[in-house]
Amino acid sequence: MTKKLFLAFLLIAALMLSACQPAAPAEEPAAEEPAVEEPAAEEPAAEEPAEEPAAEEPAEEEPAEEPAAEGEVVTLTMGSWRVDDVEQMNRILAAFTAEHPNIVIEFDPTNPPEYNAALRTQLEAGTAPDLFYLRSFSTSRQLFEEGFLVPLDDLPGLRENFSEASLSAWSTEDGTPYGVPMIAVSHGIYYNVDLFDQLDLEVPQTWEELIQVAQTIQNDGYIPFANASGEEWTIAEIVFMNIAPNFIGGREGRLAYLSGERCFNDENVVAAFQAVADIAPYLPDGQEALTYYDSQQLFLLGEAAMWFGGSWDIPFFESEEPDFEWSIFPVPPPEGQEQAYVTFHLDAGMGINAASPHQEEARVFLEWMTTPAFAELLGNELPGFFPIHNEAPPLTNEHAATFMSFNEDRETDVRWAWPVLLDGSPDGYTLMQNGAIAVINGQMTPQEAADALQEGLAQWFEPAQTCGQ
Amino acid sequence: MDISIKQEEKRVISRTSYQTRRRLTWVIFMLPAIAVYVAFMAFPLFNSMRLSLYTGQGLTPERFVGFDNYVRLFTNPLWRDAWLNAFGNTWVFFAVHMLVQNTLGLLFAVLLTQNIRGRSIYQVIIFAPVTLSTLVIGFLWRLLLNPQWGAVNYTLEAIGLESLTRPWLGDPSIALIVISLVSCWQWVGLPTMMFMAGLLGIPDEVIEAAYVDGASSWQTFWRIKFPLLLPVIGIVAVLTFVNNFNAFDIIFAMAGSRGEPGYSTDILGTFFYRTAIAGEHPVARPDMGMGAAVATITFLVLMVGVSLWLFFSRRREVEL
Repeated sequence: MTKKLFLAFLLIAALMLSACQPAAPAEEPAAEEPAVEEPAAEEPAAEEPAEEPAAEEPAEEEPAEEPAAEGEVVTLTMGSWRVDDVEQMNRILAAFTAEHPNIVIEFDPTNPPEYNAALRTQLEAGTAPDLFYLRSFSTSRQLFEEGFLVPLDDLPGLRENFSEASLSAWSTEDGTPYGVPMIAVSHGIYYNVDLFDQLDLEVPQTWEELIQVAQTIQNDGYIPFANASGEEWTIAEIVFMNIAPNFIGGREGRLAYLSGERCFNDENVVAAFQAVADIAPYLPDGQEALTYYDSQQLFLLGEAAMWFGGSWDIPFFESEEPDFEWSIFPVPPPEGQEQAYVTFHLDAGMGINAASPHQEEARVFLEWMTTPAFAELLGNELPGFFPIHNEAPPLTNEHAATFMSFNEDRETDVRWAWPVLLDGSPDGYTLMQNGAIAVINGQMTPQEAADALQEGLAQWFEPAQTCGQ
Repeated sequence: MDISIKQEEKRVISRTSYQTRRRLTWVIFMLPAIAVYVAFMAFPLFNSMRLSLYTGQGLTPERFVGFDNYVRLFTNPLWRDAWLNAFGNTWVFFAVHMLVQNTLGLLFAVLLTQNIRGRSIYQVIIFAPVTLSTLVIGFLWRLLLNPQWGAVNYTLEAIGLESLTRPWLGDPSIALIVISLVSCWQWVGLPTMMFMAGLLGIPDEVIEAAYVDGASSWQTFWRIKFPLLLPVIGIVAVLTFVNNFNAFDIIFAMAGSRGEPGYSTDILGTFFYRTAIAGEHPVARPDMGMGAAVATITFLVLMVGVSLWLFFSRRREVEL
């Protein structure tokens, strides 16, 4: 009897162990950590020493594979959040393999909302792809600082083919690049060309003209702007940050805020929020509850004449085939300001996993990414997503070419909130978004919105605390 | 003689030990269930509580910080305000369900247990939305409530009530109520069914006796049916409480993970999702440790709520 009891216990123990097993591997890295950490925990700056070993771990775990012998085909994997681009990327990567027959690259994207967390988990577990898309600015900089990315100081062609401003989105503060600039998106105002002709309207050249045009359109019974605040990010990204560079003076002006030279509630910021207030009366009825998709449909149905939008929607608008001609014009600067700006946002770069066993092959690919040939291929495969290369290639897509032409006589800058202002809480993005929406809905004056931005950022961003001195 | 006594003794002893053993045999039969429970319920639960004491990015936070996550959650004004907002909204969400869903459920149940014509048709109509996916319901109602081409505002205009039209999901003061009502509309079939089962379980003799004594149907309901239904009402209330405090899907489907507009529809479920899994747009840096802390607090709230109910319902049983 006791024997049987014992056997029963054994059986149950085995059952429990096997049930627990799936959880075990995930536990291991966490279990190892405290041992490393404990001695460091006594020091006040526990964070850095604790994190460094973690960063090195994947490198040690990886079986050190020899570089592939000549003639042998090496397969690299590429991580990305662009699930919509599989077909196009495969064509681009096939073009690369045609030039370098011994390197094959597999494109393996993850859904955008999960990308950051999934990538980090893969990096920590040592299962990350050899090459992967990098978000611009601080998200990727953090990965580099923790040792997951290879520095690209000596990558041939990098500094020759990309401007310093472009490189800065994937470089450390002292200028060490860790990613090749890859994709940018542009912003502007989509407009119904037929409706403009019918109402005898010209493309506005100043902000004041734009508002007059909007008034005329409204008087004729159409919705001037299809934008709406029902989906909040659209107000931040395609309205406020689309307009802002023309009011704060582009990159130079933005850097003045980051250095503390200017305060976030100075007259320029108030003017930017005022511009949002200017368009508020010309938004559709019930815009508080209209989504991004609703806005697009209002424009595509011909009910709205204009739409603040991003270049990434070119393929969608083309596939919808509205029964009118449409085009895009850039956000015009305020009257009396000669220099105009356009929001040309650096969106994606490419980096090499520090733990990849195929460093050499990965570098060959990145070097190829710096060539004009890649820029042209990318720009034409993905209309609406632009290569960041110094020499803008000719684009065959008419609408993409229009967007690209904005850059010719205008200065470009990224979306205002992306560099630095996302690194603390409350972040600049949320503050700008909330301010712009409150201005549209009449809950705040432009001055109050600017004050809220300054006040919020001053909670953690030092230059904002000592600004204007 | 001597031998027989000894044998008798032996038999007695072996019987008692056999009995104690037999009394403990059930433990062996329980063990598989306990093992499964521990592996799939208790272990993950305690593991997520353990996780709330760590911080770090990625899916397995690894730096031990003690109760720092909880301290931050309740002292840092940004976290505290966001949590309080979500907590308060969850109570509103729950209150609307109690008032509308469960009251209507009771009303429908009473009506459906009368002999009315087309009873089973009504039953199907009331229960049908329960079988639909919440995402489908959310999408449908988003279309109906759309301010530009939605049927709700269109109908209001058609019958001359333009003054009542509004961007239902865009007004921070009513969006949460509107979404709660949609959720009530979806789930009202469940309490209806449970109340119906409870009402049908009341013996006819009691009701007939009341009828003979001259009680009106109003009196019959309040004096006889309602008190006998109290245990079911209690169960429905607790289920509503647990489901609402764990709710996520309908808000996510109708107002996104941020509880738009302006976090006015943010509840504990969406707050947890943003904190632990998705991160805030556009940076998307989820904080799994803090998320586990939020989940643990939600769990404690639920545990206290359910324990209170158990305590009071036990006491009432004793009184009865």
